[in-house]
Amino acid sequence: MTVTDYSDATRATGEAIIELVGVDKFFGNFQALKDINMRVGRQEVVVVIGPSGGGKSTLIRCINRLEKHDAGRLVVDGIELSDDVRNIQEVRRETGMVFQQFNLFPHLTVLDNVTLAPRQVRKLPKKDAEALAMQTLTRVKIPEQARKYPGQLSGGQQQRVAIARALAMQPKVMLFDEPTSALDPEMIKEVLDVMVELGRGGMTMVVVTHEMGFARAVANRVVFMAEGEIVEVGTPEHFFTDPQEVRTKLFLSQIL
Amino acid sequence: MTVEAPVFEETPPQVEPARGAMDWVRKNLFNNWYNSLLTVALAAFVIWAVVALLQGLLSADYEIIRANLRLFMVGGFPADQLWRPWAATYCWAVMFGFVGGSLAAAARDRATEAGLPYVRTTFRQILTRYWPILVLIVVILSFTTTITPTLLTVGALAAGLGSYYLGRILPRAVRRWTWLIVILLIAASYVALAGFGGVGWQGWGGLQLNLFLAFAGLLVAFPFGLLLAMGRRSSLPVIRTISVGYIELVRGVPLITVLIAGAFAVGFLVPRDVRPGVVTRMLIAIIAFEAAYIAEVVRGGLQAVPLGQVEAAQAVGLAPWKTMRLIVLPQALRATIPAMVGQFISLFKDTTLVAVLGITELLDATFIVNSQTAYLGKGLFVITLSFAALVFWVGCYTMSRESRRLERKLGVGER
Repeated sequence: MTVTDYSDATRATGEAIIELVGVDKFFGNFQALKDINMRVGRQEVVVVIGPSGGGKSTLIRCINRLEKHDAGRLVVDGIELSDDVRNIQEVRRETGMVFQQFNLFPHLTVLDNVTLAPRQVRKLPKKDAEALAMQTLTRVKIPEQARKYPGQLSGGQQQRVAIARALAMQPKVMLFDEPTSALDPEMIKEVLDVMVELGRGGMTMVVVTHEMGFARAVANRVVFMAEGEIVEVGTPEHFFTDPQEVRTKLFLSQIL
Repeated sequence: MTVEAPVFEETPPQVEPARGAMDWVRKNLFNNWYNSLLTVALAAFVIWAVVALLQGLLSADYEIIRANLRLFMVGGFPADQLWRPWAATYCWAVMFGFVGGSLAAAARDRATEAGLPYVRTTFRQILTRYWPILVLIVVILSFTTTITPTLLTVGALAAGLGSYYLGRILPRAVRRWTWLIVILLIAASYVALAGFGGVGWQGWGGLQLNLFLAFAGLLVAFPFGLLLAMGRRSSLPVIRTISVGYIELVRGVPLITVLIAGAFAVGFLVPRDVRPGVVTRMLIAIIAFEAAYIAEVVRGGLQAVPLGQVEAAQAVGLAPWKTMRLIVLPQALRATIPAMVGQFISLFKDTTLVAVLGITELLDATFIVNSQTAYLGKGLFVITLSFAALVFWVGCYTMSRESRRLERKLGVGER
């Protein structure tokens, strides 16, 4: 194992809202996460980069328990993720997630997609939920599409609706799993713009992406993962100017 | 989620354009000596068959159908009680009309809100869609001896059309109660048939019994099938094993076996004074049988819903049963509608199997009338069976076309 700079990964700016201590994850015999230690501070934006199959997606899917971690501790906003269903539901209420494939509900209108969780989980009355939904849709700049179905929208618009759907639950943390990888090049910018604004607005974000421009714009820290480990951690500047590890250099030479 | 059509750059193979009908005939039917021979022979056979069929049907004496029309339609329903089936028919006409109207209005509202163009169904489209039913109605009415049935049928069609327009213009607040109106009208049709000194389903027969067994069988089997399908995907081994065991056991047995078991085996097991009547036992057997098939249809629909949908629902904190009810089932069931209609078509035909247990449904009725003294030994089977075939063909063909139309609509519509 190469030298791992945990000190930086563990350090968070201010109070930590996400904390992973010695987290392992197995798929059968394959170890997807190896002893992950990481803290994310409130209002911090962390970008996770690395080659595919390196455990980036698994890492953030463990944070809202779409995957169950096998060892270690995982605490989100003071709630430890365990087999207790109530804890899991509570963590999911506090974390919004945006998927690579959008995963909008195709049988519901945009407005219904966004109001579903506030009404069903937060028990908001229909009127309040719709007002809130229009607010978040305005935030992602597509309030005029509220009555349409996802199938009628472009990929970029769909992904912005997905962001609005997550924001409508007023989460404390937003997780992004390669949000622009399934988009046509000309639509990537409109999604990244929304994400940059979110980050500048003080949202805590963990973003799996290869968009280094996004990292440079808002990321407080960049985490490089490979083969299930955190290999290197630093500021975006550090990765552009002075990467230390061989694997990091190799990877950056491929994507930049 | 949008799939882009692939672009083909290569030009299609050059086909010499046909120059008129004669050219096409020469090229496709008479291009060498043995094809010419085959064309002539087959044409001669087709012409002979059609002429023979028409001659037979036109010269035949339809007295046997005219005299037994009541038996074919409603079995042994008492003649002085015939207002009851008519009242039930009106209930169903109003129900179909109303549901059709409110569905059309709902589609119109959805399209308007989403900013999509809404194309109203024209009268001509309805005619192309349902002409077999109109033909069947005319054929059946041609066998009636008085004017009353014709007037009543026209009245029922008018009632259906009226409720269609009513369903279209009613405000959305009322439209939300359509399901209740459907249940009330179905209940009303049963009361009209059986209530206040009427005839319960034990005494039903003819086409009415076929329709009853098919509708009631599928309707009641549906919730059981849904449970079995979800049980099959359950993470609890006990529930999964029971579901799989039941489904595979039933699917490995022909329906007629289950019917015979319902008729005779239950007779041995259950004491006479609490034993349900034979039609009820048939209905239970059909429900038990159909539940397994519906379970497989629904399972196909559940598998068609991507895992990402469940994950997205979980990620916003939706509880598992709400995820099932609000996200998975609506998409899964929508995907199963065409297969479900196919299941209904095959069940509608399979209801004729209860004839082997001496229940006079339509097919059995068209058989037994040939042993009435007036027609015995006259070889009128062809006529009566053709009549039954026409009824089943019209029903199944119309439903199958409707299901294909639905399939196309669901494929390109809101997904």
